Amino acid sequence: MHHQIPSPSYDRRRLLTHCGSVTALAAISSLLKQDSFGRPIEHPNDATHHTPRAKRIIYLCQSGAPSQLDLFDYKPMTRKYQGTDLPESVRRGQRLTTMTSKQAAFPIAASTFKFAQHGRCGAWFSELLPHMASLADDWCVIRSMHTEAINHDPAITLLQTGFQQPGRPSMGAWVDYGLGSENHDLPAFVALVSANIRTGQPLYSRLWGSGFLPSIHQGVRLRSVGDPVLHLSNPTGITAQVRGNIIREINALNHVQSRDLGDPEIETRIRQYEMAFRMQTSVPDLVNLEDEPEHVLAAYGSDVNQPGTYAANCLLARRLAERGVRFIQLFHRGWDQHLNLPRDLRRQCQSTDQPTAALIRDLKQRGMLDDTLVIWGGEFGRTVYCQGELTADNYGRDHHPRCFTMLLAGAGVKAGLTYGETDAFSYNILSNPVHIHDLNATVLHCLGIDHHRLTFKFQGRHHRLTDVHGNILHDLLT
Amino acid sequence: MLILVASVARGEVSFSRDVRPILSDACFQCHGADQSSRQANLRFDQLGVHSEIAQEAVIVAGNSAASELIVRITSTDPDIQMPPEDFERQLTAAEIRTLRDWIDQGALSTRHWSFVPPSVSRSPLKTRQSTQDWAINTIDHFVFDKLASNGLSPSPLVDHETLARRAALTLTGLPPSPETLNAFLSDNSVNAYDRYLDLLMTSTRYGEHLATIWLDLARYADTDGYQDDEPRIMWRWRDWLIDAINRGMPFDQFTREVLAGDLLSNATPTQILATGFHRNHRTNGEGGSIEEEFRLAYVSDCLETTGTVWLGLTLGCAKCHDHKYDPISQREYFQLFDFFNKTPEKGVYRGNNSPPLLKVPTALQRRKLEMRNLSDGTSADSRSLPQTTSIEAAIPDTMVMADGVNRTTFILERGQYDQPGEKVRAEVPKSLPPLSPHTPRNRLGLAQWLVDARNPLTARVEVNRIWAVHFGTGLVRTAEDFGSQGEPPSHPELLDWLATELIRHDWDVKKIHRLIVTSATYRQAAAVRDAAFTADPENRWLWRFPRRRLAAEQLRDQALFVSGLLVEQLGGPSVKPRQPEGLWDELAGGSSNAYKDGYQVDHGAGLYRRSLYTFWRRTIPPPSMATFDAPSRESCTARRDRTNTPLQALSLLNDTTYLEAAKQLAISTTQANTATRDDRLRTIFRRALLRSPTQEELSLLQRSYITLKQAFEGDVDSANKLVTAGQTGVPPIAVTDLAAYVGIGNILLNLDEFLVVE
Repeated sequence: MHHQIPSPSYDRRRLLTHCGSVTALAAISSLLKQDSFGRPIEHPNDATHHTPRAKRIIYLCQSGAPSQLDLFDYKPMTRKYQGTDLPESVRRGQRLTTMTSKQAAFPIAASTFKFAQHGRCGAWFSELLPHMASLADDWCVIRSMHTEAINHDPAITLLQTGFQQPGRPSMGAWVDYGLGSENHDLPAFVALVSANIRTGQPLYSRLWGSGFLPSIHQGVRLRSVGDPVLHLSNPTGITAQVRGNIIREINALNHVQSRDLGDPEIETRIRQYEMAFRMQTSVPDLVNLEDEPEHVLAAYGSDVNQPGTYAANCLLARRLAERGVRFIQLFHRGWDQHLNLPRDLRRQCQSTDQPTAALIRDLKQRGMLDDTLVIWGGEFGRTVYCQGELTADNYGRDHHPRCFTMLLAGAGVKAGLTYGETDAFSYNILSNPVHIHDLNATVLHCLGIDHHRLTFKFQGRHHRLTDVHGNILHDLLT
Repeated sequence: MLILVASVARGEVSFSRDVRPILSDACFQCHGADQSSRQANLRFDQLGVHSEIAQEAVIVAGNSAASELIVRITSTDPDIQMPPEDFERQLTAAEIRTLRDWIDQGALSTRHWSFVPPSVSRSPLKTRQSTQDWAINTIDHFVFDKLASNGLSPSPLVDHETLARRAALTLTGLPPSPETLNAFLSDNSVNAYDRYLDLLMTSTRYGEHLATIWLDLARYADTDGYQDDEPRIMWRWRDWLIDAINRGMPFDQFTREVLAGDLLSNATPTQILATGFHRNHRTNGEGGSIEEEFRLAYVSDCLETTGTVWLGLTLGCAKCHDHKYDPISQREYFQLFDFFNKTPEKGVYRGNNSPPLLKVPTALQRRKLEMRNLSDGTSADSRSLPQTTSIEAAIPDTMVMADGVNRTTFILERGQYDQPGEKVRAEVPKSLPPLSPHTPRNRLGLAQWLVDARNPLTARVEVNRIWAVHFGTGLVRTAEDFGSQGEPPSHPELLDWLATELIRHDWDVKKIHRLIVTSATYRQAAAVRDAAFTADPENRWLWRFPRRRLAAEQLRDQALFVSGLLVEQLGGPSVKPRQPEGLWDELAGGSSNAYKDGYQVDHGAGLYRRSLYTFWRRTIPPPSMATFDAPSRESCTARRDRTNTPLQALSLLNDTTYLEAAKQLAISTTQANTATRDDRLRTIFRRALLRSPTQEELSLLQRSYITLKQAFEGDVDSANKLVTAGQTGVPPIAVTDLAAYVGIGNILLNLDEFLVVE
């Protein structure tokens, strides 16, 4: 059967509306179990088009664009050409950012880091990522990612929403819209941002926003300072008991209105106040790490005890996954090494390598890696030629959209596979190019969704995450 | 499901209501206006204009069985089946039945409704006695007619208290003050409601409220919206907007000024200021960006915004290829693009306001300058005086339009900035009336064309927007899309009548507002009647007043207003009321100095101004707005969602601003020493909801009060914290007593009735 996936909330409304009377309405709403956002959760997978491999996504977005040349895409030839100008035959008139387009020369800068093959599969990793490298046989490494955008804002917007201009729903919002929630007390789509990072690019609400989808599908950002969810805690002087009383009294008066006016929205509001009260317990439970055993905390590294770090967010990602949150989106900034790459990239890897690996292991040990798909990567790659001054031990790299590396692990993807090939300078793709749309189509496929059919009509068009593009990468799938 | 079947079975199929939407949605993508993707040289979008389809036996009028169209859509043979098996949009059985019925009934077709100019429709017959009894003005005859033909009847008129709150909220965004309400309730003259409306519509609150809709359309914000999202100063334009609405500027003049004020002969500074409308788009300052790529994006933004706001068309769909659904070719897109392509605006600009700029003194600054000129009796000579310099230095600049560059516009292949194709010149689409011969080929000419009485779209789009202000939803639900893929109007004749009335009254917008709020349709009660709900659960036929949650701005403003905290002050720089700490720091980048100190909360008045004055940072919009469905203002938005979530409940329960309002409400209610508990409960209820509680409600409030009082007596510490935190002027009653009233305030400000317009 061909049918569009309807929005669960709308579908429910339609169902309710066609059943008519208020009495019928009350009967039906009690039949439908709902998540905290009023969406049905009874059969969350009904909207899928085929058997899903993944139940949930953990997207570890590395904002700023990690250098593929210094981490994954080993190019020994570049040593030989160190300092010489990148030949025009390689560059082929590719547009450059205006940060380097006026440079007189484009000297090749080989990576100063050592590379080695790891695992049975023999995937290449640089010395900067020892922990991730130790899981070589779990990763599926895509070296042939490419994009059109060459500046951060349009590029990360494309990565997360499938379009360079703002206004489209983020990937998590699409998934939330298509599949709904598995959980009563938490939103289906949660975003976590590493705190205390003031270098690198700013982040925007649009990256976890709902765009033109109903705003109910936007990601809820869990914060590491103050309330994890905005306005979760009661004001000074209002105890949990008083808050409970107040909500009970609000609902009692609302019931009177509901009875007299019959507007079904009043019943919905009553349920939302009950849910808000429940969230005041469920969310603090979620972020309270006291019940985690010492060895688990240790695995994520010492940063894990500091709320808002990448390590703490990786652990929270696992806790969210356990509670049935469907789309968990992390953002970690600071990968934009235009200058001083050797020093800064090392530092950047130190804070992310161990927690990333710990998350994969943790999921694996709990048997959750089988139905969780983990994605690691940024919005584009970096140039083989140097930005700024090239010295024996220092260099920088500009933005490079034509090839970069992303990593997948878990549900539905081939572990230990290295996919796609770039030229000797990691400048052009030689085989198996993967556009962001292809990756997104594949991720939706793993969730059981046909990316052609997850559509929403806005401004006259049936929009989808992959616009009019996207090919499923069957080669990557088990 | 029964209802759907019934409505189809009921009778004649209408081409524009029933058939064209199906063809558009399921067929136009390959058989529509886009030449390059058209299959089999077959198009359905021109039925009613050309008729060659009949010759091909695709559609045989009166004989569905002989029509190839029906053969194809009912076939299961993958070679001939339509739409093709792998196409994302398939037809339902009901849709196939509709197409079959339409052909059997003669396959009549017309142009898409919105491209046919509205005719001065006569209102439906007024002979029915029941209509006569109920109707107040012409609107009601149209509405009654639709209700009657759907077997429905209108609701009775609502009581005066509810009506007063309703009208004040939809016209001014605030409830009436107790004094205004009482004056209206005790006015027994026949024109009491008219007088009340006069008061509302001449209040400056009217312009502040209606401006919020235009701020969404204008994608207005206080920051540039790209990478570092640097601050900019555009509030001078926002204040122009409020003023234009308050002065009742006719919509044709409004259109000319916002789109082309700078091109008017002898343009005044105020008219140039108006053009800030099209400088509100985002601007990029990210290092490494390519100038022309972004400049062209801004021009597209201006064009597409104009398309949404005036034409209700999704012009953006024609940027990379011909529009798939509406008669706008890619060439026509770039012909329209040419109108906006002359501004000397930079594609990449780092800083605050990017040129072209204009310095216009605010009213206060103008007065100061005038006073200074009077006092020293000189004018230009005195500019060197220190005092003058300081006044003049304080005049903010604002971004405006100008036609300074003679650029050639090219069709951009696939919409790409670096792939210019053929040259084009400013022109309007062929499917719409032509430009008059003497019209200049510039933005002014375009503006004149938009408000030419022959333009079939502009007046309809504008009256639809006004309708939505009062009914929550437009007669065309898709306010941003009047094209083929938009929803057809629920009341097409009413829409056309209102559009022609707007033009007939020289585009007097206030006239249309008044027509609507004086109608019986608007004055209906909101209660649900079971039978009507069963037949029309979405209330598209308007058998009751559409009760709905207030918009983000109204919610916050109302809480501040009823508690007496609201500081009413017209215009000025944007303010920073409280928001949860750290929100900006958590997401900020390292390359901008503008936000190194984070969000600096205002003191005093800035905490309590109307919400439209809240500093709007596009990449991190104010949470008090975003939680309640306000858009990000990154692009033009013609319609907001209206969701109902637990995050909203948390915000209304716990946000400092709402708690402060509850406290203030409790304090002012308990100020009178002599009042009894029940007096106080009645007073506080009435302050929030503008009516007296029923006996049932009063007893629930008594119970609440007793429960809360007991809780606080058992925990005096909490009561103290609740009452005294940041509070002055605490009345001389027991602290546990006052705390209980704060709790009551918190309850009332969270009641569904408080959160909706009813």
